[in-house]
Amino acid sequence: MAVGSVRVDPAAPRPGLRLRELLDHERFLGPAFVTPALLLIVLLVAYPFVMAIYFAMSNAFIGRPSHFVGLRNFVALWESDSFRQTFQNAFVFTGAAIALKLVLGITLALLLNQQLWFKRMIRGAVLLPWVIPTALSTLGWWWMFNSLYSVVNWTGLALGLMDPPGPNWLGQKYYAMTAVVAVNVWRGLPFFAICILAGLVSIPRELYEAAEADGAGPAARFWHVTLPLLKPVLAIVILFSTIFTFSDFNIVYVLTHGGPINSTHLFATLTRQIGLESGQIGQGAAISLYLFPVLVFVVWAQLKFVRRQVY
Amino acid sequence: MESIDRRRFLITTATGLAGILAAKMPPAFGQQREISYLCWNNFAPASDKKLAEIGQRFTRDTGIKLKIDHIAHPQQAAKYASEVQSQAGHDLVEMRMHFPWLYEPQLVDVSDVVAELEKKYGKALSSAQDTANVQGVWRAVPQYHTFFVGSYREDLFKKASLKVPDTWEDLYTVGKELKKMGHPVGIPISQNYDSISTASPVLWSLGGMEVDKDGKTVRINSPATEQMIEWYQRMYRDCMEPEVLSWTDASNNTTLNAGKSGWIHNPISAYIVARNSKLVTADGINHHRSLAGPHGRHETDVPRHIGIWKFSKNVEPAKEWIRYLLGKKEVYDEYVMSGDAFNLPVYANLQDHPVLKTDPKFAALKQEGVQFHCYGWPAPPSAKVQQITNEFILPNMIAKAVTGTSTKEAVAWAEKEMKRILAG
Amino acid sequence: MAVKRRPLRTKILLHLGLLPFLLFAVFPFYHMTLTSLKTDRELYDRHAVPLLIRQGATLDHYQKLLWDTAFLTWIKNSLLVTAIATTISVVIGTIAAYALARLQFFGVDPFGTGIFVTYLVPTSLLFLPLAQVVHWLGLADSKWSLVVTYPTFLVPFCTWLLMGYFRTVPKEVEECAMVDGATRIQALIRIVLPMAIPGIICAVLFAFTLSWNEFIYALTFTSSSDQITASVGITSELIRGDIYFWGGLMAGAVLASIPIVILYVFFLDYYVSGLTAGAVK
Repeated sequence: MAVGSVRVDPAAPRPGLRLRELLDHERFLGPAFVTPALLLIVLLVAYPFVMAIYFAMSNAFIGRPSHFVGLRNFVALWESDSFRQTFQNAFVFTGAAIALKLVLGITLALLLNQQLWFKRMIRGAVLLPWVIPTALSTLGWWWMFNSLYSVVNWTGLALGLMDPPGPNWLGQKYYAMTAVVAVNVWRGLPFFAICILAGLVSIPRELYEAAEADGAGPAARFWHVTLPLLKPVLAIVILFSTIFTFSDFNIVYVLTHGGPINSTHLFATLTRQIGLESGQIGQGAAISLYLFPVLVFVVWAQLKFVRRQVY
Repeated sequence: MESIDRRRFLITTATGLAGILAAKMPPAFGQQREISYLCWNNFAPASDKKLAEIGQRFTRDTGIKLKIDHIAHPQQAAKYASEVQSQAGHDLVEMRMHFPWLYEPQLVDVSDVVAELEKKYGKALSSAQDTANVQGVWRAVPQYHTFFVGSYREDLFKKASLKVPDTWEDLYTVGKELKKMGHPVGIPISQNYDSISTASPVLWSLGGMEVDKDGKTVRINSPATEQMIEWYQRMYRDCMEPEVLSWTDASNNTTLNAGKSGWIHNPISAYIVARNSKLVTADGINHHRSLAGPHGRHETDVPRHIGIWKFSKNVEPAKEWIRYLLGKKEVYDEYVMSGDAFNLPVYANLQDHPVLKTDPKFAALKQEGVQFHCYGWPAPPSAKVQQITNEFILPNMIAKAVTGTSTKEAVAWAEKEMKRILAG
Repeated sequence: MAVKRRPLRTKILLHLGLLPFLLFAVFPFYHMTLTSLKTDRELYDRHAVPLLIRQGATLDHYQKLLWDTAFLTWIKNSLLVTAIATTISVVIGTIAAYALARLQFFGVDPFGTGIFVTYLVPTSLLFLPLAQVVHWLGLADSKWSLVVTYPTFLVPFCTWLLMGYFRTVPKEVEECAMVDGATRIQALIRIVLPMAIPGIICAVLFAFTLSWNEFIYALTFTSSSDQITASVGITSELIRGDIYFWGGLMAGAVLASIPIVILYVFFLDYYVSGLTAGAVK
């Protein structure tokens, strides 16, 4: 070992040590940790997204050369009766479904939070709708609403709640919307319940005990302790659910195909009808992208709210 | 000892690796040709098995490897779009109905193959010609077709001494009786293709049409349309039940097989299921020739063709497969026979096929004097005309009219929508 | 959540209150199972009672599904794709979430928000250009294309979920460990991750479910019978034209749910005990 060739001076560390120090450094570790996600998104989402925007602003048709047309697709869509109806349906569907999932989800989570018999089985049972593959569970529901065999009607008639032959679930305007909302709620409730349950569990017991000591009854405790502390969780859950519900495809496609008379068409099903089956990719992309400003607004509102609460 | 083990390990691994690499290396000469074919899941599962069998014989006889994939027909649009978009996928694809018009720039010109087949078997039926021949060039080879036919409960008709209908007006007359018996007629009026499949022949037989032969003029606003709507209103009121507004393509099959409906308009799929599942209704179901109106006997037809993507690198081997499957009469016959009469040959000289004799209930499928058309006739099925079909404007117009909208309003709505689509 | 003994009456009322939810959640599954066990004859019989099997149960539909179709291969594909995609997504999501929740660096705010943008483009639109990308990667008609594309919708979700959980882990614990000489990564692995286990399990469960249920990418990126996943295979094979093989479809639904049910039952305990342990601290 020649003198001076091994440097013990910490000011110039050996490469191995430097790496470890770097990894400790936030400014290096941060980006390093975030890079895989970033790469994934840029390669597999950003590029297709940009392409989708290009489609929407062109007269793209399957397998044919396309030309840029600007915002013509977006404007032309408003003249289509089916599109206007779809726009309305999407808000009705999403609004009703989320409201129901929220209320029922909180209720269910509160119930699940208690000391229960058969706790494991009950919590497992509640998760079942989430577990059955969507493509197949919607078929199951079609069978349940089927005009000839509907078990819903059969039960209703048997219990005397309905007059024969029972509502025409998938054939009448408002009934059809009710049916698709019901299936969406059925499928989405476990998500709400479990996430809210997680939020409930993390509320410190001391707060409840303090409120009780102050004389607050169960309702007041819920309103002043539970709900405010649940808000961050609720915000996130509503955010995700709004996005998934707005872009729902399977339920409407299988149950009603958008009918009766376009009264249950959603953006995703209309896109399939016009963009794919008729080959008009440009128009299809434009329909899908109408979702974008709506969702951006929802996301912005939620994020502002969440940031305020959580940070 | 350690080093010996390591050396031995390296040697065996290296040899193993070399072996694997050698096996994967294609020989310099005699490279095997390979083609792939994407077709739908046939109504008759036995037909798919027969197709696989024929495919294996093809490989044995020609040395061309053939891979057959199946897809459900609702998924075809998405699948084809993605293959076209990425310019990669299968070599041969099943082109249903008027798809050749939609994908025309992407399909190989197969006029040579069709010419050979037409020389052997006679001209292709008009519905096949209209849909597979795009502006003078054959973009897909007609293979077989499935048409709609009257499917009815013969036993109920006999019990009530009802006449087998021959015209759409006759249907109204027997329909009234059937509903009184508790076995209403089942014609869907909802957003599915079966609805269009019935509305179209009714309209055609009254002399009406959606878009004219020139493919540009909307002709839905006509006395014929109003007559059709009036007929539907009567049918809905006196012969059917409101549930038809909620039906999907499978619903009419189900109600016939369950014993509820007395008459439906469908291909023979309903009867086949009843027969194969040994349902109680199976014996009572029979078929009759398509119904007529003042302007002739028209019927909806669903032809299926085989197309070759332009991006395929194996166009000639692909054409060989088509020639093998359809060009040799024994093979074509064998294929048709396995289809339970779902898939009938689509060339003029093959119309009276032995498969029709395999079940007495198939007798009516001879369909003499019936003119077959695909959706949108008489307009050539351009992309825009197909969009009119895909947006279910015809059934929605009827649905509006039977649920309270005035006929004039419903027709005006349909006309406006059709004009918008043609212009857009 | 008071731990004092609740009177029996309240407990019973509680369980009664849960009953409608349980019925709502479980009934369709019961109905589907029943349908899969009924004979074709009874399925078509419109006077049959939908709530019971009257004309004899049959395992025909299950047999046909298991032996006459490539069902087992499809399930194997689904399991493989889902397991790998979930693992990848949770790992990527965990480290990204840690970075976004804890570390200060250039771009942390916009990235945290930007991650959401990926959700605003529905898969029903994205799949078309994505098919092109998949082809360029040489993964066309292969289940590996799904392993690569599923993380696109799983990672943002996992990241956001885990960000929330990481934020609840007190900074002091980590800082303590680092003062004691641990590197940041060691602190992450030894201190933070164990405390965030419920969150990670949550992310795994949701990612698994989303991935298992996915349909459109599976449909478009794979074709061969030996590459397709369960949902695609079952609906393709058992819906032919206007003929729906109801018994088989429902049998498929039941069988395809079993792997997830097992997973959930196994993890639910851990998940729930993890949750309650977190609360007790």
